[in-house]
Parts: sequence; C-alpha cells; structure tokens
Amino acid sequence: MGALMVIFSLQPKQRSKTRDSVEDELELSAVRHRPEGLEQLEAQTRFSRKELQILYRGFKNECPSGVVNEETFKDIYSQFFPQGDASTYAHFLFNAFDTDHNGSVSFEDFVMGLSILLRGTIQEKLNWAFNLYDINKDGYITKEEMLDIMKAIYDMMGKCTYPVLKEETPRQHVEVFFQKMDKNKDGVVTIDEFIDCCQNDENIMRSMHLFENVL
Amino acid sequence: MAAGVAAWLPFARAAAIGWMPVASTPMPIPPQEKKKGQDGLIILNVSGTKFQTWRTTLERYPDTLLGSTERDFFFHEETNEYFFDRDPDIFRHILNFYRTGKLHYPRQECISAYDEELAFFGIIPEIIGDCCYEEYKDRRRENAERLQDDEEMDMSNDVTPVNLTYREFLWRAFENPHTSTLALVFYYVTGFFIAISVMANVVETVPCGTMPNRSKEMSCGDRYALAFFCLDTACVMIFTVEYLLRLIAAPSRYKFMKSVMSVIDVVAIMPYYIGLVMTDNDQVSGAFVTLRVFRVFRIFKFSRHSAGLRILGYTLKSCASELGFLLFSLTMAIIIFATVMFYAEKGSTATKFTSIPAAFWYTIVTMTTLGYGDMVPKTIVGKVFGSICSLSGVLVIALPVPVIVSNFSRIYHQSQRAEKRRAQRKTRLARIRATKTRGTNAYMRYKQNGLLIDSLAEASKQAGRALVGKAANPPFESQHHHLLHCLEKTTNHEFVDEQTFQSNCMEISVMNKSGSRASSLSSSPHGLSSCCSRRHRKKSSFSLPSTNNQELSTIQIRERPVANSRSSLNAKLDETVPLKCDEPYITPSMVSLSAPVVTSSDGHGSTTTTAYSQSNIVRVSAL
Repeated sequence: MGALMVIFSLQPKQRSKTRDSVEDELELSAVRHRPEGLEQLEAQTRFSRKELQILYRGFKNECPSGVVNEETFKDIYSQFFPQGDASTYAHFLFNAFDTDHNGSVSFEDFVMGLSILLRGTIQEKLNWAFNLYDINKDGYITKEEMLDIMKAIYDMMGKCTYPVLKEETPRQHVEVFFQKMDKNKDGVVTIDEFIDCCQNDENIMRSMHLFENVL
Repeated sequence: MAAGVAAWLPFARAAAIGWMPVASTPMPIPPQEKKKGQDGLIILNVSGTKFQTWRTTLERYPDTLLGSTERDFFFHEETNEYFFDRDPDIFRHILNFYRTGKLHYPRQECISAYDEELAFFGIIPEIIGDCCYEEYKDRRRENAERLQDDEEMDMSNDVTPVNLTYREFLWRAFENPHTSTLALVFYYVTGFFIAISVMANVVETVPCGTMPNRSKEMSCGDRYALAFFCLDTACVMIFTVEYLLRLIAAPSRYKFMKSVMSVIDVVAIMPYYIGLVMTDNDQVSGAFVTLRVFRVFRIFKFSRHSAGLRILGYTLKSCASELGFLLFSLTMAIIIFATVMFYAEKGSTATKFTSIPAAFWYTIVTMTTLGYGDMVPKTIVGKVFGSICSLSGVLVIALPVPVIVSNFSRIYHQSQRAEKRRAQRKTRLARIRATKTRGTNAYMRYKQNGLLIDSLAEASKQAGRALVGKAANPPFESQHHHLLHCLEKTTNHEFVDEQTFQSNCMEISVMNKSGSRASSLSSSPHGLSSCCSRRHRKKSSFSLPSTNNQELSTIQIRERPVANSRSSLNAKLDETVPLKCDEPYITPSMVSLSAPVVTSSDGHGSTTTTAYSQSNIVRVSAL
C-alpha cells in the first residue's frame, strides 16, 4: 500500500518537466529575424554588395536564427581569446553594438557597427569608442566606468602573462588614461575632451587606420 | 580554433579599435593581405557526384588536403573541376566539416572505411564533435578488439615478465590463476576444499542412526566426531595457509585486510580457532554453537571462483536503496494490518492474536500469499480485514518487483556506461585542453618566428629573394595572431604559456629566497626584520625591452624597499599585493647593493616605469 502511494507521488514531477520544455521550445522558435533587403543595407552602410554578402554568410552560419543574443556573442568572442576570459569585454561590446538596446544584435546592427569601425571617418570611430567606454551612456566617462573596461581588457589576457599581472595594473592604466584625456581635471572625460585628445595623439591616429583593409 | 567563427574574425579585429585609445604604445603592423583572390565556387567531383562550395570554405583548414595546395594534384583541366576517386557518401560528411566546423560520424558507415577516408583527406579523427565522438570511439574499440582477438587466436599469450619479484609473482598467481599451472592447481584445490567443508557442515547434522548404547537418534557429526574434526582441521589449515599467503603477497596489506573477500576468509576460519581455545564448558558451548553457524560463510569464498556471484553481489549493493525502500513500505503495511487484525480479533476467545507483534507473523504470511494456516482470524471483522490484507499483499509484492528488476538492468547498464564515460572523460578533457593550448602554442610559435620572419623579410628584400616561408602562415591565422599581438601591446603584457609562467613563479620565489638585501642603507636591524615580516612583492613591472627573452638561467634580483625609507614610499606599497603565485617573503641574504631605494611616488603608470628602470636589478647566473 505504501508502495502504491509512493508510486503515485512520483508522477507529478515528470509532468511538470515536460511542460517546461514545451514552453522553452515555443520561446526559441519565436525569435527569428530576417534582415532588410540588400539595397537598403547598401545605402545605409559603406559596404559594397559583395562585402555585404560575405558578411551575411558568415553571420548566418554562426547564428541561423538571424539574431545574436548576448550568450552567443560572448561565446563567439571568447573563441578568439582562448587564454583569458573575454566575457566581460564581450558584454560591453554587445552593448555597443546593440544600439536599440533590445537584448539582441541583428544583422543590421552588426553591419552598421562594422561600417563605422572599418569604413567610417576618424570622428565616427572615436565616437564609437567613446560610446563603448561610456557604459551608462550618459555622455561622461567616469573613472569607475573606465576601470571596468580596463579590467575587462586585462581579463582577456588571462593568467599566464609576462610580466605577471598585478591587481593594480588596470587601475594604474586608468590613471594614465585619465591624465592624458581629462584636460580640466574634473574626474570625467567628455566626448569633446576625448576626441580632442585622441586627435592630438599620433599613436592613436595611426592605429585607427590599422584595420581599414580588414574586409 | 573553430573555423566556424572564422567568419567573425573581421568583426573581432574591427572591435579591436576599442582598445586603441587606451593603448599607450604603437600597434604592430597588420599582416599583408594577399590580393583578395576570386572568391569563387569550386567544383569537387567525387566519383561522379558533384559537390560545390566556396573556395574560402575549403581554405579554412589549410592543413588538410582540400584546404592546401595538395588539391591541385587532383585538378582535372578538361572539365575544370577537382576529381576524387573516393566514396561520395562519406565525402558528404567531410565537406560538411568544412562548412560547419564539426565533423560527424555516420552510424551506418563502416569504421575502417571512414577512417581511411579521413586519412586520405588529411583530417585527424580527434576533431569529431562530441555528439558523435563516443559512438566513434566505441566502434573503433570494437574493431580493435576484433583484430586483437584474431591475433590472439593465432599466437599464444604466454608473456610472463621475468623480472617480477617473488611477492608480485605470488600476488599475480592468486589474482589470475590462469597464469601458471601451479596457480591453477592451487585454485582448484581450494575450490575443492571449500566444497568439502560446506558439505561436511551440512552432513554432520544428518541423523545417522542410533548407537547401540543410546536411545536417541544421533547426528552424523556426533557419531563420527573424530572424522569430522579431522576434516574440519584439514580444511581450516588450508584456508589459513591461503589467507596468510595472500596477506603476504598483497601489494597493500591494509587495503587487502579491508576488502570484503578477506573479511569473509577471516570469518570462515575464526570459529575453528575460537573453538580450539574454548574448553568444553557448558556455559560457553551455547555461544560456541552459534559461532559454528559462521562456518557457512565459507560458501561465500566461492565468489572468488565465480564471476557471476560477484556481479550479483555488486548489483545487490547498487540496488540497496530500492530494496530498502521496498522493505520500508512492506514494514508500513505489515504494521498497519497487524494492528488492525489485533484489534479486530481482540474480542474473540482463545485467539492466537495475542499481541500486535504476534499479529506480524500472520500479516507477513498472508501478504506474501503463503498462508500457513497456523493463525487464522475467527471474527467476521477479522476475516474481512484478513481478506483485504491478502489482496493488498498481492499488489504490494507484485508491483515493486518488476520495478526492482528493471532497476537492476538499468543500474547495471548505467554503471557500465558510466565507467566507459569516466574512462573517456579524462581523454575528453585532455582534448579540450589540447585544442586550447594548440591555439596558444600556435601564437607562441608565431611570436618566436615573427621576429625571425621580420628580420628575414628585410634580409630578403635586400637580396631580392621571395620569402617562401611567409606563405606557410595562412592568412586567417596570421590575422588572428595580429589581433592577439594588438591586445598585448594595449595592455603592455605578453602572453606566455603555462610552463614559462610556472617557471616565472618559481623564479620569483627563488628570487624571494635568495635575493639581495640592501645592507648599505643605514637601517636598523629590526627594520630589516620588520620588513621581512610583511609581504612585499615589488615584482617585475612593465618590462624593459631587453628582458623580452625569458632567460631562465638568470635570476633577477631586485631591491627591497627597506624600513627607514618607508616614509618616502608610496603608501600603496604597504598593501599586500596578492600575486597569482603566492610565495612568502623570506630574508634574502646573497648580494648586497649599494644604491638606495626605489621611490615610487604617487604618480602611477609612467612614473613607475621610470622608477623601475632605476631599480637595481642584479642578474646573477643561477649556474
């Protein structure tokens, strides 16, 4: 008799499990995205038709559903940096690409971002970089925001570096950065200070042109 | 690196622009892009079946046949396609590998045919995806075993390693009786004596007819007491000798004594010795008789001889929870029904249901449908509940038994699969780690070669010779390495591999232990000791370019900031700086320096760089 009662009590657990999985499946199938036409994208970005084709093929290969969510984005980006932990920087990158902040990066977002980075003017690139560093998008880069970004970049190096990474290295780097950028020493860097300073720095200017022939 | 994400490399490189404003040093030059060749379609004709794919898809894996120039050997000019005289069905999977980055193993294909195709196209089987890898490994193992069986049947397997010690030889003889004739003989002799001993235990209780001067029927054991005693002695002697030999030969005596078989051995021979020690005292003879029961445990010694017994024991052990649960639910039912029957029969006269525990017997007998009939209910209520009890008994017993049987088979198969997976887990983790290190090792090699190639490039430009070696680096890889190089420049740190990192840590610890001490400073002796008690780790900094190479034979000894100049030091230095490799600071004693101390001011970053360049670095050769 006791066995019967126990057998009955085992049943409900399984039923609730199947219900959950059905809901999950519904959720997944709803997220599917088709990009705008090729002509529109050609008009909006500075890529040629062929380049857009190549980009889309790669994009769709990795994300068949047409959108990248943050997890996939982190996954993909982490594969380029096997030694360290690229997930924090990937998070910031994701926010920078996801311009409409809907939690997923569609092909349009992707290609607009790339258009700025690869074919944009210096002004646009610097704008983009400022947007990346400004985590809360309020128009000012504070030391805390910069420290987060710096830590994320250093995280990508991983543990096995020479010289050995210390705790205060990101902080020191942030101090250097602020010394250079923060002209009026008010503790935050505005977009004008940033662009001004970068335009006066030869190294940065040269490296901005580095990736122009990537595609 | 999964080439499925090769398509995202342009994106990753573009995103590197985010590092540029942060970096303080110039970035390395990107690798020269080949003039973007026609990204056209390639036609692959495999025994008549035409496959088409983009050129770049194939070139993702440049160390395979299709991705390298090796495919040019198969180019067919007349039809302008690449012709391969191979199996098209298996080729489909190989081409999918290029497309998706994952290699799958089709179940219906023969394992050796598949292996041959992989070998032909230059693809290593280790990259088979996790979804198909276990199946592939299983099939491969079966195949290998089949081959091995064929070989074994031809040749004998008398490979006895000659250089075993006597103890190891003995242990091997005990564990695998088939290895030598002597072991086999011993195996059978012990088996025989176990059987003899058990049969003697059984027979000595059989009544053997009366002796002339006794009226009672005597058992054989009492009648032929001496004979049985001799037999028992002989058996116990053999068992004792066997146990002692096993104990001597065991590689780990403690582990052997803890094992189940040894416990059974001990329990089997103990009663005899206890009986020898104890005298024929009536008080203890009762206990002695009980002890004789343990002689029946000798039958468990058979489990060394029978694998089936061992499997049964193991499955019982693994099903213990299910059995325990069955017992528990039965107990619940028994108690319930016994209580009910007791109170139902309480009223009737001369009832056998004298107490609830007495009613347990009735409940058990009824529920297992035995029905001895020695206890029956007499009242109507009792009969009603009795019938309910017997009906439910059928259900309670009959239902869980198939569950337990299926549990047996499930657990058995599960344990087999779990063992297999555990054995493969180590290799699987090693594979994942290997692919990771392969990626980083490739980058290390690129760095070592990179400088080489640059200088070679210059030399060749002067000589006007084309550099052949440069083409060996596929464009995708070189772009990825350039990206990693940019990251290094941004953070002013370099990637190193595990071993170098470990040796760095060891260097630093050695440096701690035997570094220099600034004795020139007029610091008080307790200044030194107080300094030592803290953990100062003024380690390597943004390195000077000359220390780029890891010279493991030199120990870099740095000055330690000393007590009396503490005030001039940055307060930050007083914090313990947790390092990735922790080493306590021990007073170094070797070389003394004369120049004073590193003063790093409040400014970090660039000022510390200059400060470090002033620091006293004494290189002492470790040889």
